[in-house]
Amino acid sequence: MSNNYIPTIGLEIHLETKSKSKMFSSAPNTYGAKPNTSVLPIDLGMPGTLPTVNEEAVKNAIKLSHALHMKIDHTLHFDRKNYFYSDLPKGYQITQNERPIGSDGYLDFQLDGSSVRVEIERLHMEEDTCKQLHYTDFTLLDYNRAGVPLCEIVTRPCIHDARVARLYVEKIREIGIYLDVSDGKMEEGSLRCDVNISIAKEGAKEFGTKVEIKNLNSTANVEKAIAYEIERQKSLLENGEKVRQETRRFDESKMETVLMRVKTDAVDYKYFPEPNILPIKLSDEFVNDTIESSYELADVKFARYTNVFKVSEYDANTLLKNRSLALLFDDATKTCQYYDLLIHFINGDVLTYVSGANNVFNLSGKHLGELINLVGENKISNAQARDIFKVIAKDNKSPIDIVSEQGITQISDEDTLKEMIKKLLDENPQAIEDFKNGKGRAASFLVGLIMKLTKGKANPALASKLINEELKRR
Amino acid sequence: MDKHILDLSIEEIHEALVKGEVKPSDLVKEALKRAHESKDNAFEMILDDLALKKAEELDHVVVPKNNLFFAIPYVLKDNYSTKGIKTTASSNILNDYIPLYDATIYSILKESNAIMIAKASMDELAMGGTGTTSHIGTTFNPFDKAHVRSIGGSSSGSAASVASAVVPFAIGSDTGDSVRKPASYAGLVGYKPTWGLLSRFGLFSYAPSLDTVAYFTRDVIDARHLFNLLKKHDDKDETSLNVELKEDVEKKNVKNVKLLVFKDLDINLKDETLLKTYHDLLNRLKEAGMDIVEVEFGHDLLSAIYPTYNVISFAEATSNNANLDGVKFGPRPEGNTYQEVMMNARTVGFSNLIKRRFVIGSYVLYKENQKTLFLRAKKVRRLIVQRLNELLKNADGFISLAAPNIAPKFADATDKLSDAYVINDNYLAIANFSGGPSITLPIGLKENMPFGINITAKAFDDLNLLNIAEVVESFSGMKGLSAKEVDKYVK
Amino acid sequence: MNKLDLKTIKDAAHRLLFDMSEEEFLTLQKEFDITLAQMDVLGKIAGVDEIEPMTFPFDIEVHHLRKDEADTPLSNEEVLLNVKEKQSGQIKLPKVVL
Repeated sequence: MSNNYIPTIGLEIHLETKSKSKMFSSAPNTYGAKPNTSVLPIDLGMPGTLPTVNEEAVKNAIKLSHALHMKIDHTLHFDRKNYFYSDLPKGYQITQNERPIGSDGYLDFQLDGSSVRVEIERLHMEEDTCKQLHYTDFTLLDYNRAGVPLCEIVTRPCIHDARVARLYVEKIREIGIYLDVSDGKMEEGSLRCDVNISIAKEGAKEFGTKVEIKNLNSTANVEKAIAYEIERQKSLLENGEKVRQETRRFDESKMETVLMRVKTDAVDYKYFPEPNILPIKLSDEFVNDTIESSYELADVKFARYTNVFKVSEYDANTLLKNRSLALLFDDATKTCQYYDLLIHFINGDVLTYVSGANNVFNLSGKHLGELINLVGENKISNAQARDIFKVIAKDNKSPIDIVSEQGITQISDEDTLKEMIKKLLDENPQAIEDFKNGKGRAASFLVGLIMKLTKGKANPALASKLINEELKRR
Repeated sequence: MDKHILDLSIEEIHEALVKGEVKPSDLVKEALKRAHESKDNAFEMILDDLALKKAEELDHVVVPKNNLFFAIPYVLKDNYSTKGIKTTASSNILNDYIPLYDATIYSILKESNAIMIAKASMDELAMGGTGTTSHIGTTFNPFDKAHVRSIGGSSSGSAASVASAVVPFAIGSDTGDSVRKPASYAGLVGYKPTWGLLSRFGLFSYAPSLDTVAYFTRDVIDARHLFNLLKKHDDKDETSLNVELKEDVEKKNVKNVKLLVFKDLDINLKDETLLKTYHDLLNRLKEAGMDIVEVEFGHDLLSAIYPTYNVISFAEATSNNANLDGVKFGPRPEGNTYQEVMMNARTVGFSNLIKRRFVIGSYVLYKENQKTLFLRAKKVRRLIVQRLNELLKNADGFISLAAPNIAPKFADATDKLSDAYVINDNYLAIANFSGGPSITLPIGLKENMPFGINITAKAFDDLNLLNIAEVVESFSGMKGLSAKEVDKYVK
Repeated sequence: MNKLDLKTIKDAAHRLLFDMSEEEFLTLQKEFDITLAQMDVLGKIAGVDEIEPMTFPFDIEVHHLRKDEADTPLSNEEVLLNVKEKQSGQIKLPKVVL
């Protein structure tokens, strides 16, 4: 009979944060630049160089800490983590060991209709290492990444479900993206996740032996790796074997975790306070202003969209998958209150357009709002809106100007339409006959004729309504 | 032989330049000539072309009266980063290293048109106090033509170059006493300003919480001029402090000065000649109206300075020098793995003294050792600083002999850690603990070898200390001493 | 006083990625004896256990943060100026085994 095992999971996320310059170096913080072209002497660990703390990186850490409901330390303290590795230029990394800027937070989210909470122990600032490119016989080092600002976010070992772990990572990524402090690209390494996982028999007082999984390049793999690892550890224990303390990586092609190295003694990082940086006192004003200047989180937008704008949860969620479109929506709502029309148009036409490979998108929210207002006010049809959108998307021309320049109007005036319909019915007795004989298609045929006659300018809904009325009258 | 202009102080040379009595290129040519003739092995590199080119350029510029440093030749310790100019900190691990940027101190001097004529040899990586551990060999003391006596260290080449009148000032660095002790052995003014006032950007770190830009001059006025020039807030150094210094002009009067003498420090002084000169000076100062008060510092704390300094400085040093691995700069040895490359670079690149210090520094940082070693040393540091600050609350500084003896013979000079509690040979680090300004100035000669006193004051009291030092200097009879003319000073 | 054994000392040196001669290790062992004994004495100083460790010369907090502006970086040639083993604009090492 099989025992019931409870997995315990803790996550460490390294988030590269956005800034013009690096964490302790004023070299440009770039991604994708030619190797070793975004480097200053300090990034190479050259003698005599000194670290200086980047204000923007501190602001990013404050925004993230606040979003994760953490206590924020108003005095910055930095420490050195000492170890030798090929990717570590100074032989130590400047980090925050004793006093992380953020501590004791949490993150709530929904899973299967109920709320889940992940407790977060700490968030600290540190610097990235240089990038290694491994070839068959040698390794090449690119120092562009050396010194890039990182926030490390560490949960408590409080997760017991692979899906929760995955959702947590997705949520952290979303928060980073919505605060605009990170691009959260796991595939490019700007969000990196290490998993610590152990299993123990239900009711056991102590955790099992902890295994670390590294190199997870997607949130799906976080879930898959954990699920695999739980089963692997279970079967070891079921067979009377022990789980070794080791570091493993996830092999995507085999869909399994494979051994990287067995951990012997824990490495002693010989932490001590960084003597080149005095404690930096942040004023309450600085911290508060930073928090107040934070961009709105997706959760807050979701509540606003569904509660205030009354759009469906489905539409809101679809929109929020893309922050720039959500910002476009927010911007457009300043001029347009046809929220349903607007969100559908963005989730449909705009999304399709911006997903196109070479499509240049410069349309302002104001002009998009004006375009949707024309639809909402029955001045143009959806089809016309689509055509106009294609014209203005690239150059951000005014939709109102386009409409008047090109004489695009929708005939929504009942009298005008009635006149045309009467004339049309007089010319098409057969259609009236068909209608009376119960042929429903007769009405649509007539609507088609009206549209053709007006070169698409007739309001199709109104025309259909009037045609039906007139047919009944005959 | 007439006194050459180069034998004078910065202030005096400046006057000569203004009056047109000497041209920048004359000065620099003479300095370069003396540097080449020097037998003291004081230089990593003499920069003939660079210095001469600059001097000839300045020959055509009107000497600005408000810039004392215009065309003044000087020597820079080889642990300051100089863009495009090889900088090795006298260590094999940095052989051929060409820095890509300028240290702030060097930039300021360059901007003021002072002319660097050489980079000075030093104890390897500024760790050492004998002048014997440079990769180019021992630096000698210009006062001792027989070359049996040390000049101290680690700023050995900088000290030698001023003592032998190659230049009127030289930049060193002071982590424990690396300027102030050689100053005593070489008959110079050695000044270590308050920590944080002079930018460390570009100074190769030994122990950043103690490291201070410091320098040698011929007299106290020059030390003050140099302080005024180099004291500048620097955004590139997070520990650079923007502080308005207070000056009490009353302290220029000997009658308004109060100095402490630590009884339990001075009690260990044994050399009769040095003691007599020192006590005579104190008596003359007292007679002139200075208030000199004897107090007890506390023997336990005085004895603690040396081990406390060792533990803190070695710990910081082992981390600061972890960047030296042969990968990004410095000699790159063969190796089958990156670890082998680094291991080979570091095994060959560091001398034994350096390695021993690194190992101790690393060991005290082990997680299980921090409480009884590293943190304990940092606690004792606070106890020592608290005691010093408490005593200096009601005094302007404390005075003692900068070193208990004249420069030791090489046979007796060692960097091996000692269990003989030689308090007086190691107490100067107290000013690095407290960050306070500290100055050494010559007061006498024994067997034609100089010795000096040291005065240490409260942090940020630089201007008052310099005023007081000028007063004391006027009573010393040794102002402007140099090895070239030592005879004039022998009484 | 426990004498620090040579194995520990050698391990400490090797962790720092350098080696030393046997003779130097013996010198170092003596220096350890001296240092550890001295640190024992320091542990007996009155008040040492209660007081806060001191990192900087004075207790001071600063308020300055660096404005987030990028400086002109080094050229690739400068980055590699002091590098002995290089390839394709990068520093070359023997293959780093993960």
